[in-house]
Amino acid sequence: MSFTHLHVSTAFSAHYGVSWPDELAQSAAATGATALACTDRDGLYGTVKHLKACMAAGLDPVVGVDLAVFDDEGDLRTQLSGRVVVLAHGHTNGAGYKALCRLISDAHARTTGKAGGVVPVAVTRAELASRVLDPDTLKPVLSVLIGPDSDVGRAMGGRRYLRPRTLFKSWLDAMPAGSVVAEVVSHLSAPGEPLSTAHAVRMLKLAQEYSVPAVLTNAVRYCAEDGAATADVLDSARTLKSLPELSAAPLLQPNGQGWLKSPDQMLQLGKEIIHAAGYGAADLQVLLAQTEALADRCRMDPVTDMGWKQPVVPEASVIGIEGDPLAELALRCEAGVARRFPGISGKAEADMRTRLDHELKIISNLGFASYFLTVAEVSRMILDMGVRAAARGSGASSLVNYLIDISQVNPLQHDLIFERFLSRDRATLPDIDIDVESAERHNVYRKIFDRFGAQRVTLMSMQNGYRARGAVRDAGMALGMDDGDVGEIAKQLWRFSARRFREALEEKPELREFADRVEQRDFSGNQQLDLLVDLTERLDRLPRHISMHPCGVILGDATLLDRTPVQPSGLGLPMSQFDKHDMDPMGMLKLDVLGVRMQSAMAFAVREIIRIHPTKADVVAAGAHPVGPDGKGPDYIREDGRIDLNAVPLDDEPTYELIRSTHTLGCFQIESPGQRELVGKMAPREFNDLIIDISLFRPGPMKSDMVRPFLEHRHGFAPEVYPHPDLKPVLQETHGVTVFHEQILKTFDVMTGCGLARADEFRRALGNEELEPKVEEFFRRKARENNYTPEVVDKVWGTLKAFGSFGFCKAHGAAFAVPTYQSAWLKAHHPEAFLAGLWEHDPGMYPKRLLVAEARRLGIPILPLDINRSGAEYRVERVVSGPDQGKLGIRLSLKGIFGLSGAELKRIVAGQPFDSLADLRARSRLTKPSIKRLAQLGAFDSLHRESGGAANRADLVQHLQNLQNGQHRKGPDVIEGQLALPLGDVELRNVKAELPPPTMIENVRAELDLMAVDVSEHLMSSHRPLLDRLGVTTADRLLGLRNGTEVLVAGVRIATQTPPMRGGRRVVFISIDDGTGCVDSVFFHEAQEKAGPLLFGTRLLLIRGTTRRTGPRGISLSASMAWDLSRIETLPFPGKESGSGRGPESGEPGSVPAEFRTPGPLSGIGRNLAITGLGG
Amino acid sequence: MGMFSESVEVACGLEGQPVELQWGGRTYAVCAEPVHWYERRQWWAEEQRAPLGSGPGLVDHEIWRVQVVPKENPAAPEHLTLDLVRHTGSGRWRLLRIHDALRHKTA
Repeated sequence: MSFTHLHVSTAFSAHYGVSWPDELAQSAAATGATALACTDRDGLYGTVKHLKACMAAGLDPVVGVDLAVFDDEGDLRTQLSGRVVVLAHGHTNGAGYKALCRLISDAHARTTGKAGGVVPVAVTRAELASRVLDPDTLKPVLSVLIGPDSDVGRAMGGRRYLRPRTLFKSWLDAMPAGSVVAEVVSHLSAPGEPLSTAHAVRMLKLAQEYSVPAVLTNAVRYCAEDGAATADVLDSARTLKSLPELSAAPLLQPNGQGWLKSPDQMLQLGKEIIHAAGYGAADLQVLLAQTEALADRCRMDPVTDMGWKQPVVPEASVIGIEGDPLAELALRCEAGVARRFPGISGKAEADMRTRLDHELKIISNLGFASYFLTVAEVSRMILDMGVRAAARGSGASSLVNYLIDISQVNPLQHDLIFERFLSRDRATLPDIDIDVESAERHNVYRKIFDRFGAQRVTLMSMQNGYRARGAVRDAGMALGMDDGDVGEIAKQLWRFSARRFREALEEKPELREFADRVEQRDFSGNQQLDLLVDLTERLDRLPRHISMHPCGVILGDATLLDRTPVQPSGLGLPMSQFDKHDMDPMGMLKLDVLGVRMQSAMAFAVREIIRIHPTKADVVAAGAHPVGPDGKGPDYIREDGRIDLNAVPLDDEPTYELIRSTHTLGCFQIESPGQRELVGKMAPREFNDLIIDISLFRPGPMKSDMVRPFLEHRHGFAPEVYPHPDLKPVLQETHGVTVFHEQILKTFDVMTGCGLARADEFRRALGNEELEPKVEEFFRRKARENNYTPEVVDKVWGTLKAFGSFGFCKAHGAAFAVPTYQSAWLKAHHPEAFLAGLWEHDPGMYPKRLLVAEARRLGIPILPLDINRSGAEYRVERVVSGPDQGKLGIRLSLKGIFGLSGAELKRIVAGQPFDSLADLRARSRLTKPSIKRLAQLGAFDSLHRESGGAANRADLVQHLQNLQNGQHRKGPDVIEGQLALPLGDVELRNVKAELPPPTMIENVRAELDLMAVDVSEHLMSSHRPLLDRLGVTTADRLLGLRNGTEVLVAGVRIATQTPPMRGGRRVVFISIDDGTGCVDSVFFHEAQEKAGPLLFGTRLLLIRGTTRRTGPRGISLSASMAWDLSRIETLPFPGKESGSGRGPESGEPGSVPAEFRTPGPLSGIGRNLAITGLGG
Repeated sequence: MGMFSESVEVACGLEGQPVELQWGGRTYAVCAEPVHWYERRQWWAEEQRAPLGSGPGLVDHEIWRVQVVPKENPAAPEHLTLDLVRHTGSGRWRLLRIHDALRHKTA
């Protein structure tokens, strides 16, 4: 006998279902089922995974939803009557599935998409009724199951005879004939309780009374009995109540019987219900037959009903073409040839033509021309918005993409292989990712909706699953444990999956204390901790909620919303219930539109350049750009001074000089300590070097020691070695080291003649346990046939096997290298505008204060906050007076001042300029604390000077503080009506000069406290006398020292990294900034032991170490000891320290000169993360 | 109604339902059709471990409510109503509650 489960929640019913679709499908198939339903709560979240699982298990999928229904008699916006299951009818050419999608979208339409919304996900009965009929045939294409959780089922309890009947009757009245089914469920709970056999009997009898078919289900939440405990914990997480609370309510499932029972067990269950109803064997047969009849009606054909794997792109008319898309694509490529390759001829042209024909042929065979046109349309639309955009990823491998302006990388120049992106053997839509300015991403989304129409566009969603921290928190809540206690445990969980919690307890040193407590449960009443570990493991990876994917946009034709349910995202735009794994199976075209802060920073810089230098001649002069033979300057600068960054040639020498100098802070991809070391060693000379640099700086190559041989060969320290002369052309650009996917493809092709498309299939198979042996067999056989010696075959296979799985796609590297080059170009030519862009959009890995320090290092004046000159953005400004007169400086912005609200900021900017404090108060309505903070930061200094007052900043702050404390007298301080008179600021003029002016240390401290940036001077400057006394070497002088010199360095921490290392021993990299540059130091095991708590806990560090020269321009430090610079008494003053090996405790407080005892600017500042990049 | 947890020997019929049991040195026959259900346990308070894969029986246990009469004296006037629980793992039976009639033992 076969039985079909028609009511099954998968794990994708967040905080409800327990089991994954493939577990359920395999389990059902194992007991002889031929079909299985997936009816997740509120949506089709698990449906596509269900389809896949059913197809793999040989089952017919049944698709539906478990949906709440508004109470017709209550408040239709908030009150629910219960839940029903809605199943789509199959083999209806998609009519059932479409109705289901639309129904679910209806259910979400009134919700806000934000957490804590009051409107629940639900439909009205009228909506449900209207979706049940196919508008074309007027026949029902959905079935509605009225079960134990419906209003009817809920009314079954107690002795009320009439109520369930009335409710059932109104369902029958409301719904189209033939669409209502009674769902009979018994979880064998205690007599009289919900889900008891008695209730099932009542539902069965009700169905018979009204001649409505009844079906048997088990309202499944888990695959097997074992999942019941997990379901309890999920109930707790959903309701935010502990298990003891839920149990008392009682709100938990009555027992643990909601699992995927076998056909025999379901038959037995059916028998019990029929028997308890007093019916006979024939009635049992009817119940089971009706269940199977409904199942048959709902068997979906994934292809004809749901469009399985059939790519759908926007209609040609929408992307503005008539006729054949392929012809249009070829036409646009032709136009691109003239633009991208002006004057190309001879062999170069022939090669380019061959490549173009090759690509177009593959695109034609796959029928993807419309796809390319669509992406090109989006790309063009973004550029037309004036937003910077760049394709990333393997899309850069395509000449077509380059010709139609999707990508900025010429694949011929960099030898990129089209097959890495798309080949005749890959029938799935390729991925094209477009990077846009982060600040414009949401506008780009909205524009795409406008451009293609809301019916053709939706955002992609993503599933957020439990990870260790969230899991332990929710498990702790379920057990009713103390919040703080669980929070402490959660803090220590980092970077391992919840499923390995118990294992981690034994291994991880940071969990040792907790592990001991678990051990001692018998003595201290900690038995809950053991359960906590088990429940945490149970929650691992289970979906918690969906959210907007950070970049995915789905594009389709006018039927898109018939093929995916949508719900509001937090952004207000609709979001599909499908995630990235569902795109390909459902034939959905997904574009990744990523927000990249560096793109925003660069766009900002270009706008600042044009603002300060409004003509081409100005820009050429300011940026020291080549004037060219005609003296007019380069073509990439327009007459109005606008720089077309994408048109800047990739061979600018000053740019490479900057990169080689390793002063690359702020440059995309190459600013980290490790990258600064690598560019220092590698000394890039051309664009291809940047591609290689970026591709090498990946965990795989770094870990497997590819970098050292590469550098040795590059600098000629060691001869290049090729496994075989045939491979020299393939590996030459990387000096014999295999770095790129492209090289793996070519290696396969050269040695086996398999063709590049198959080579890419082989590459994908590397690392796959099942497929790799087959690839190896093929490779060895073919290579031997082609007369390669066994030694060569062995050696090459070793390389392929080792590097194949984590090598880097050169096209990715090339796409990444473009913004890297562009950012370095801006830094080399227009550092003021570039740094202003960096401060504004904060794209990098460092605290902002380091980039401010970088401006100082470059001699760029940092202009203080000024109530009339500072705006809502950082601004490049010509300095009008003082020692820096004529230079370009950067004016601080009013944004990012602690306590100053967005509304206050807007009112200040709208009201500028202000002629007095009274004017400022009246028009910007700033709070008193905000005014005081602005005064502390010196924002009124120039206003104060202009007023002619004799007092200083400290007096003004005290005056404002008094006002704030409400101690001000009515008097000349604030006079109503003063503001319109051009008398200057009476209030400022009259502030009494009493106090000494604030010291530099006090000013810098206020800046760090309120802006997390040291503006007036570098925060290390005030420590300089101390550092001189200690004999500290500054960063700028390190490079002049010999390798292996022992030095002391000091600075403020800017980066702390503990990358995974070969051999497993932890290495800690700490970078500090001393105002003259960065010092990158490495702490190996012994130094870590000595430095102890200083490793992660200290902001100001004094480090002793020996210099390690890493390249012509690179030097770093191998640390041997560290001190906390703010603990003066521990520091190794010269002469004080005798002998060796004396630790920080050896200091004698009495011997420290009093002049060094003044607290530095960081003293008393609590903002660790923003200042040092290290939390806690 | 008294609450007990006392081991009993139970003989079952073809469908798994109890037909006869030995308790307190006497044999009883089940004299009416038994009722059974699954009842939740406060497993988070009663158990120290709940690892993934611990199988059935953690969240609920199976209760059978039987009416029995002494086997040697089926005509005895007093029927006893007993709640039996079958341990899911071991299959062993325990007496959980005695309803109405005489209370042979009190807790």
